Amino acid sequence: MTSEEYVGSVDYKTERADSDVLSYKVSVRNLNSWFGAKQALKDINFDVKENTITSLIGPSGCGKTTLIRCLNRMNEMTASASVKGSVFVDDTDIYDGAVDPVLIKRRIGMVFQKPNPFPTMSIHGNVAAGLKLNGVRDRKLIDEIVVDSLKSAALWDEVKDELDKPGLSLSGGQQQRLCIARALAMQPEVLLMDEPTSALDPIASSKIEELINDLKRDLTIIIVTHNMQQAARVSDYTAFMYLGEMIEYGPTKQIFENPQKDLTERYISGKFG
Amino acid sequence: MNRVFTGATIACIVLAMIPLGSILLEVVKNGISAISFEFLTRPQGSIVTGGGGIGPAIQGTILTVAYASLIGVPVGVLAGIYLSEYAGNSRFAYGVRFFNNVMTGMPSIVIGIVGFITLVATIGYFNITAGAVALSIIMIPIVVGVTEETLKLVPNSVREAGHSLGIPKWKVTMFITLNSAKNGVLTGIVLALSRIAGETAPLIMTILGTSLYFQGLLDPVDALPLRIWRLASQPYDHAHSFGWGAALILIIMVLSLSILLRLLVLEKRFKLGIPEMLKIRRMWK
Amino acid sequence: MTRLLDLGLTRISNIVMDMANLSVRSVDGSIDSYEKGTGSKDQIFEWSEQLRVLQDEATELAIELIARYQPVATDLRFIRSCMEISYGFSRFGRYAYDIMDTIGTMGSISHCDKTPVMEMAGTAREMIHLSIKALQSKDKNAAEKLYEMDDTVDALYRKYLREVITPTTKKGTNDMLKDPRCYLSTLLILRYLERIADHACYIGDSVHYIVTAASSPRR
Repeated sequence: MTSEEYVGSVDYKTERADSDVLSYKVSVRNLNSWFGAKQALKDINFDVKENTITSLIGPSGCGKTTLIRCLNRMNEMTASASVKGSVFVDDTDIYDGAVDPVLIKRRIGMVFQKPNPFPTMSIHGNVAAGLKLNGVRDRKLIDEIVVDSLKSAALWDEVKDELDKPGLSLSGGQQQRLCIARALAMQPEVLLMDEPTSALDPIASSKIEELINDLKRDLTIIIVTHNMQQAARVSDYTAFMYLGEMIEYGPTKQIFENPQKDLTERYISGKFG
Repeated sequence: MNRVFTGATIACIVLAMIPLGSILLEVVKNGISAISFEFLTRPQGSIVTGGGGIGPAIQGTILTVAYASLIGVPVGVLAGIYLSEYAGNSRFAYGVRFFNNVMTGMPSIVIGIVGFITLVATIGYFNITAGAVALSIIMIPIVVGVTEETLKLVPNSVREAGHSLGIPKWKVTMFITLNSAKNGVLTGIVLALSRIAGETAPLIMTILGTSLYFQGLLDPVDALPLRIWRLASQPYDHAHSFGWGAALILIIMVLSLSILLRLLVLEKRFKLGIPEMLKIRRMWK
Repeated sequence: MTRLLDLGLTRISNIVMDMANLSVRSVDGSIDSYEKGTGSKDQIFEWSEQLRVLQDEATELAIELIARYQPVATDLRFIRSCMEISYGFSRFGRYAYDIMDTIGTMGSISHCDKTPVMEMAGTAREMIHLSIKALQSKDKNAAEKLYEMDDTVDALYRKYLREVITPTTKKGTNDMLKDPRCYLSTLLILRYLERIADHACYIGDSVHYIVTAASSPRR
């Protein structure tokens, strides 16, 4: 069943009603990862609350991109990558043998650093691609979802009269919002964003930051950024990583006003990295 | 110094164009007189007195090339997809690529002989199937090479985008990656088709050539390159003029394939219909 | 490697330390003037004015550093504290000015009983010095000590206040009542010293905040 069906089902609602505390959407337990013999992630443990934005910061090579790609099993696309440990989304360990790595990506969407709309498809085609290629046939339903997704991605007003134009004819910032709309069309529960604005100009970046803030109403978002001020602006929780380890994780306000670890303080103050 | 260099490069271009231009001129000059409706549709009449036309040869070329591509295109494209998307850098893949490169350079007469031994001798007589298979053997390495190269040119970000939507790998490959590379793949296919349309040596050993129209998959058939060769070897003037005419037809067919490809690429790139394209051509004038 | 922000932090630090020295001189000068009658009123007025100007400069610089460099963590806390501390030092200057002003307005008060004021002045000066030392060494425990000293200052203030308003005691008729100038000048100057002590405590709080990011529980 789709994640929406699951969320709407009776089982899910009774489960959630039982927990008093705001439950964790994503829980990472003892996650280790290697590229060949080199260890990229060392014993990562943290929990992400639902409907929050968590940012991963750290110097180059600290493993933040590797970590985020482990959260929806995209890291398996890289040859020689191996993983040990668990990533729980709600109560399912996505690394469990019974879980289909293809299906899990429909619950956990991803947006990449460089906008990558499908080059041969129109705007409408891009947003609908995930649906069509996953077997959805109902034209009306597809059109509705396309409109909804483009609205959620704050792109509808700019393209509503030009849905047949090629995806690549948009500006960089618009292309990135198109990619977000494409990911949203699959109605994921979690959205992973790998440096979504680093290829964009400041105005486009701030539009995307506002968009991310709106999206957290319905989704849980985890974002990798090398721009600390962006992490400070946009996220509710921040995790600082260094050399494959998660050094500190906490509310953004606390991390940027009073970090507990000296290494964190030195990094965010610009003393290294 | 700049001007000397520019001058030298222009001179080389002119030099390169001369043989091509002179071939076209000769063919048109000598062949145009032979063209007529009868020429295009009737089988050859008497060898001595002339008359008739090269109808069977035209039909044979079209059929043989089509038959060959029925085998060559799927095999070539799928092999190219395998090498680019699935094989990576394993030793097996390395071996396949190496073998493919060797095959692109294989003399066509050798392929013809192999076709003869395997398909003509076993079936018992020259036939179109043997010819189509031989041509497809020439075609496949070209298509594999072009497909693999153009697929490799598709940036990985496109594939990743597809995977991140939860689309199974085979669908990503067929509907997204291949879709993005389709212009290049089509170019490769048309190039291969143009090449095999003009191949003579393998056809000598496999289809024999005949004055009859198509009779069956296990029967011989005629083809333009073969017919041109036969007509040129005859001592009669009318045969020679028929030969020029056939050459002209063959060149027109190959050129049309190229032009068709250009139109297709233009159409896909700019999502134009035919009327818009004609408008553009008028603008260029 | 120096960060761009470090240059700004050094500048604001220097401004605050300059203010510290200036405020010490102002307060010392005004107390000496009360005790011994020495010291120039104009000099103290000038220093007080300078302190005000420096406080504006410190605040402006702090805002500029925040806008341009987006400081975080300790740097941010330091900058915020510099804004508060510079206000504290400018207040010292202001009260020194007020003391001088009182002395000037009252005219001749050399015959008055100077013990109450001098007692409190001693503690107040100690507190000023302690707060400056705490700032220099980033001592987070100084706030605690300063509040203890502030308690004694408050106690002294209330004691003298009671004495001054009680017409007769065991000692006899209140000296203060004999000459309203003594009585008023003592009260006013005690008040200013009490405020100086309070601000010294606030400076201690700001230093505590720089180190621990916690605001003082006492406040």
